[in-house]
Amino acid sequence: MAVLKFDNVTVQYPVYNSRGMSLRNQLVRISTGGRIESEAGHVQLVTALKEVSFELRDGDAVGLIGHNGAGKSTLLRTMAGVYHPVGGTIVRQGRVATVLELGAGMDPELSGYENIIRMGILMGLSMNDIRSKTKDIEEFTQLGDFLQLPVRTYSSGMATRLMFAVATSTEPDILLVDEVFGTGDAEFQLKAKERMETLIKSVGIFVFASHNNELISQYCNRVFRLKHGQVLELIGEDLEFIS
Amino acid sequence: MTLSSQKYPGFTDIIQTCHCFRIITFIALSDVRARYKRSVLGPLWLTLGTAGGSAGLGFIWSELFRVDPTTFVPTLTAGLILWQFISGLIIEASTLFSRQASIIRNLNLPLAIHPTQLLLRHLINLAHNAPVFFIVALGLGNSLNLVTWLALPALLLVALNLLWITFFIGLLGARFRDLEYFITMVMPLLMFISPVFYRPSYLPFSERIMWFNPFSHFIEIVRSPLFGSPPPLFVVGTNLAMLIIGWSLTLWLFNRQHHRIAFWV
Repeated sequence: MAVLKFDNVTVQYPVYNSRGMSLRNQLVRISTGGRIESEAGHVQLVTALKEVSFELRDGDAVGLIGHNGAGKSTLLRTMAGVYHPVGGTIVRQGRVATVLELGAGMDPELSGYENIIRMGILMGLSMNDIRSKTKDIEEFTQLGDFLQLPVRTYSSGMATRLMFAVATSTEPDILLVDEVFGTGDAEFQLKAKERMETLIKSVGIFVFASHNNELISQYCNRVFRLKHGQVLELIGEDLEFIS
Repeated sequence: MTLSSQKYPGFTDIIQTCHCFRIITFIALSDVRARYKRSVLGPLWLTLGTAGGSAGLGFIWSELFRVDPTTFVPTLTAGLILWQFISGLIIEASTLFSRQASIIRNLNLPLAIHPTQLLLRHLINLAHNAPVFFIVALGLGNSLNLVTWLALPALLLVALNLLWITFFIGLLGARFRDLEYFITMVMPLLMFISPVFYRPSYLPFSERIMWFNPFSHFIEIVRSPLFGSPPPLFVVGTNLAMLIIGWSLTLWLFNRQHHRIAFWV
């Protein structure tokens, strides 16, 4: 059973090498939606999420939309437990897997196979688990002999395939996917869709950030719009507008 | 269930780290392997480098200083090997969190695994260098006795001390990027005021200055038993005191800044 519950969660970003509250910062604030506040000294705090509350349960597939800097990636990282809120509480039940950044946790010098083991271990699998899943990953990625080459030789689409395959093969309860996913080709998108549908059906929560409304309407049954660090759930007519 | 608002995030992190033993050993080993990926001798290059360095320096200096090479060369070898271990670890410590940024920013893993992993990696390197000392020492007719075994618990104490230092420098280095350059500058200076090339007793006047350098205590506590005499009590005392004070300070800092680290890297 997967649960992800945010209650009045506020996340602030410290930024260290920009100074002062200048006109430029005010403009930034209008165009990106992050609120910039200054802590004592030169440290600036960007409030990326402000008093966000929602509750996700099994079977929820959430699409996150909003323009650049609206806080989509921050929200995903906060959901994953990478970023910690300054206020509010988060309840998280279930195993989390993430596909956030291209190449996360991979060592470019190691081969595809070695990276499967590396990422598997990092995600908490045992060697036996990894061995039994390798075949499934081979099949899903269809990278064939490329899996014996170092990952640094991969195109971004190939790296995405590998990351996505490993992340989903860990049978997570909660899967968090950022835009990187869009780099895969049409064939991959189709396979990924099947895989996510079974995942959503079996257990779990799926959260997906994208600018591609088509993908969102394909995968997701709930849509959150992020604006100025706040989350608005789209319902009824607004949802139709997306599709 | 994971609740995110905890009172002592640092302690929770360290407890979780203890359960991640497999991840720590795996990353450390795979980093060592990745580094020597396309070389034939691999980590043995480390051993050869140490052997060559201490042989060359040892025989030339023993002639220059007119000291007996049979005790001087093993002393120097042990000093160099320990110094390589200490300084390698400290120099890498300042960038330890930023080098693991892709793990920290994407996976929900405890943060204390990174300093632990770094320490383990340098211990593996130390294990590759250690045979050089024993070959040199035995080859030059030094004998090992029961006291030699004291070097092992001494090394454990030093490792635990280095772990907090690594952790502490790592935390500061993640926030203040200048630290990396500062440490690279200071380490060679510290080398000259630590007993790498000599025993403390060789120094007629400056012995007291040398004991202000914490690394002198790390080297002496391990090296004395290797030459058959238990380490001086005050050296053991300083090591224990540093362990307690250092860990309290590090835990306090880690607990305070835990939620910020992911934003720093």
